Amino acid sequence: MKEIVCISGKGGTGKSSVVSALSWIARENLVVADCDVDAADLHLIFAPVARQTEEFHSGIKAVIDPDKCIGCALCAQKCRFDAIVKSGKIYEVQALDCEGCGYCYHLCPAGAITLPEQAVGQWYISDTRFGCSLVHARLGIGADNSGKLVAKVKNEAKALAQRETKDFLLVDGSPGIGCPVISSLSGADAVLMVTEPSLSAQSDLQRLWELIQKFRIPAACIINKADINPDISVQIKKWLKKVGIRHLADLDYDTDFQIAITNGKSVTEVNYAKWHPIFTAIWDGLKEIQ
Amino acid sequence: MKIAFTSAGEGWDALIDPRFGRTDFILVYDEDTDTLTCADNREIKQVEHGAGPKTAEKIFELKPQILITGNGPGGNAAAILSKMNIKILVGAGGMSIREAYTAYQNNQLKEGA
Repeated sequence: MKEIVCISGKGGTGKSSVVSALSWIARENLVVADCDVDAADLHLIFAPVARQTEEFHSGIKAVIDPDKCIGCALCAQKCRFDAIVKSGKIYEVQALDCEGCGYCYHLCPAGAITLPEQAVGQWYISDTRFGCSLVHARLGIGADNSGKLVAKVKNEAKALAQRETKDFLLVDGSPGIGCPVISSLSGADAVLMVTEPSLSAQSDLQRLWELIQKFRIPAACIINKADINPDISVQIKKWLKKVGIRHLADLDYDTDFQIAITNGKSVTEVNYAKWHPIFTAIWDGLKEIQ
Repeated sequence: MKIAFTSAGEGWDALIDPRFGRTDFILVYDEDTDTLTCADNREIKQVEHGAGPKTAEKIFELKPQILITGNGPGGNAAAILSKMNIKILVGAGGMSIREAYTAYQNNQLKEGA
């Protein structure tokens, strides 16, 4: 089973549109994992129906046991986030203000404070209208994506791909080069970078490549909306060649992408004649990367 | 020579975990005493951020001279490992521990970090 991770550095380059189109092409033989959990949107295209739902716990927050609190106010005085307020004779934690630092827990002379793990969201294994399974997650308001959650989603997707004897796991990663991205790269066999011809995307692409090299994962690149700035597209292609990243395709700026997103479809469904051959060629190229 | 492996399981037939930071186990083979010991790293599943440096600390405590893994380690973990005298060999993803050890003996693994 080959694990391919799709990432972009910069957000908004069309990564999830590309993942949707590739998933549609390869739908008989893959499992898809949406690891862009902060801004998960593959479900808008895949119309998943969850067959397994699990709670996800992450991070801690302080809780004061009202029966044990002696009202000494030490916690409220020392909390750097002003998250503890008086309530009658005792004190309570305002959950939204608590950063989970645990200082109050160590201070409390009455041992009234605990630091329980927080249920911050859910993750799912779903059937989709494409026929392939999708592993995805949904976070509550204020909850962060993390390496932990990405590792969880990916591990479940990997195990599922093995159970379903699929040859590919396609992972939609998150923008940036931080912990969730590192976790999505970890253990991958190939990386597909989706960029666009803008200075910020170009810069983010180079930073992403620095990260990918640390993990020694072979990479390929698609330049989306390549015709909106031909000069930068040429520069990016020169750079790809120089550093040894395979350039798989230039995609034109095309309103098919907006139409697809607005209608909850992949571009291969919106305009089969144009996009099916293009994404089939990209998928075939991607399969060869090693 | 003590050789550490990032591993998905316990014992010689377990597969190398290609991940460094989030590896489930760290196996250490001591060539001098011919013993294979297993350090459980599964608590890493509960770590939100910074799994690489955490696992690097564990490697630091185990004091192997050689580390055999798959892709990693990443930049932050490599910075910690560089403080100890350790040779990092990569590209063992997909192999069993036994196969990875044989590949190491035959100089078939690439040097990383």
